[in-house]
Amino acid sequence: MSTVMEIESLGKKVFASADSWLFRDLNATISEPAIIGILGKSGQGKSTLLRILGRLLAPDHGTVRMEQKAMEQWPSALWRMKMSYVAQQATMLPGTVEDNLRTASMLHQRPFDQQLARALFEQLHLEQVEWTKPAQQLSGGEKQRVALVRTLLLRPAVLLLDEVTASLDTRSKLATEQLLVDLHKQTGTTILWVTHDLEEAKNNCERIWFMADHQLQADMPSHAFFQAPPTEQARDFLQTSLAQAHPDAKEVHHI
Amino acid sequence: MTYTSIWIAFAFVLIALLLSLWQRLGLEKEIAVGTIRSTLQLLAIGYVLHFVFHSDSILFILLLIAMMIAVASWNAASKAKKLRGIFGRIALSLALTELVTMGLLVTLGLVSPTPQYLIPMSGMIIGSSMIVCSLFLTHMNREVETSRGEIEALLCLGATTRQAVQIVLKRAVKASMIPTFDTMKTIGLVQLPGMMTGMIIAGASPIEAVRYQILIMLSFSSSAAVSAVLISMLSYRLWFTRDSMLHS
Repeated sequence: MSTVMEIESLGKKVFASADSWLFRDLNATISEPAIIGILGKSGQGKSTLLRILGRLLAPDHGTVRMEQKAMEQWPSALWRMKMSYVAQQATMLPGTVEDNLRTASMLHQRPFDQQLARALFEQLHLEQVEWTKPAQQLSGGEKQRVALVRTLLLRPAVLLLDEVTASLDTRSKLATEQLLVDLHKQTGTTILWVTHDLEEAKNNCERIWFMADHQLQADMPSHAFFQAPPTEQARDFLQTSLAQAHPDAKEVHHI
Repeated sequence: MTYTSIWIAFAFVLIALLLSLWQRLGLEKEIAVGTIRSTLQLLAIGYVLHFVFHSDSILFILLLIAMMIAVASWNAASKAKKLRGIFGRIALSLALTELVTMGLLVTLGLVSPTPQYLIPMSGMIIGSSMIVCSLFLTHMNREVETSRGEIEALLCLGATTRQAVQIVLKRAVKASMIPTFDTMKTIGLVQLPGMMTGMIIAGASPIEAVRYQILIMLSFSSSAAVSAVLISMLSYRLWFTRDSMLHS
C-alpha cells in the first residue's frame, strides 16, 4: 500500500527575501491513514504548514508527495480535491446554505448527495438550519460546521483542519470531533488537525506533530507525547497550555 | 482661431498661478508643467494630424492608432503595476476593441474610411475603452482583496482559477461598464460631449453634430462591453501564481 503523504525538507520563510525561516527542513511521512494533531505555540507555522499542504501557499523549500507524486506534478485543482483545507474563519459563498452545500457537485458536475448532506447536518446538530436561508445569515459556529460539511461532500482523502472547533460551543464541538473520528474510521480519511485544545488532541488524535524552534520537533503516538513529552519545549508547551486551560491545574497536579 | 487668441488664453493660467501664490498652495510648478505640456502636446498632435490627413497614407493612420493604443495601455497599466504582463493584455484588448468597433463602423458604411473620421473616432473609442480597462483593474484589485476568503474556499473545493474567480470577475466587469451606461443616460441633459461641442463651435449644424454624437455613444456601448470582457478574460490569471494560488 502506498504512503498517504511524504513531506520532504519543507521550509517557509517569514519574508520571501529575508533569510529568516518560519520553519525549515521539515520531514514527515504518513504511511497509513491517521488522525494527526498538530500542536505548538502560536507563530510556529502550523496554519502556514496546512496552507502549504492545501496548496494555498507555496513553500520556499522542499516538496510534498501524495501517492508518490510530488505536488508540482499534480494539477493543483486535483490536489486540492484530494487534500482539502478548512479554514479557521469559515467563509460562506454567496447564496443559500443549499447553494454552499452544492458547490462541490456543481464545480465537478457530480450528482449532489443530499442524503449524505442531511446525515452530516444531523450529526453536527444542524438539523434546525433551513437550507433556503442565506448562508451569510448563519452564526459563526453554524458557518464553521456548514463549511466542514461542504468540504466533506467533496470526499477528500486528506482533511486539513485549521482550528475548526475553536468557535463552537461544547455540544457542537464534541459532535464535530465525533463526526471526524467516525469519518476516519469508516472511510480511512487522513486528518491533519491544528488545535490549541490539548484535550481535543489527546482524545481524538492518534499521532502528534509538535512544532517548535522552526522545526517539527516531535512526530509520535499521541499517548506517548502526552505521557512523556520528548523535548524541553514540548514539556513547557504542555505545562503552559494546561495552566491556561485550568488555572487550578497546579493544585490538581500536586494532589 | 489665431495664435494671438491662444496667447490671450494664457491669462486663465495666470489666474490659477496667482491664486496658488496668494493661498500658498504650492501648485505653481504643477500648473506651469501642465500648461506647457498640454500646449506642446496639442500643438504637436495638430501638426501630426495635419501631416497624416494630407499624406492620406494608411501606414501613418495605423501608426497613429498604434501610438494611441500604446499610450492608453501604459496609462491603464499604471493602475495595476504589480500584475506582470498586464500592459500587453490591455494593448491586445484595446486593439481588438478598436478593430471590432471601427471595423463595424466602416463596413456598415456609418463612417467613411478617411483619416478625418478614422483618427478622431479611434481616439474616442480607445480613450473610452482605456477608462473601462482602468476601472476593471481597480475594481478587480479591490474585489480580489476583499473576496480572498471566497476565492480560497472555492480553490479548496477543487475549483479551477476561472471557477474560483468567476463571481468577482463578474462584479468587476459590471462595475467597469456602469459609468459608460450612466453617461449615456444623462448625456445632453447634464453634459454636452466634447466632440459635439467642437463640431458646433467649428460651424457644423447642431443636428449634424448630434447625429455623430449618437453614433459615437452607441459605438461606446459596444466598445465598453468588448473591452471589459476581453481584459477580464485575458487578465484574470495574473492574480494567481503559476501554481493557481492567489498572489499574496
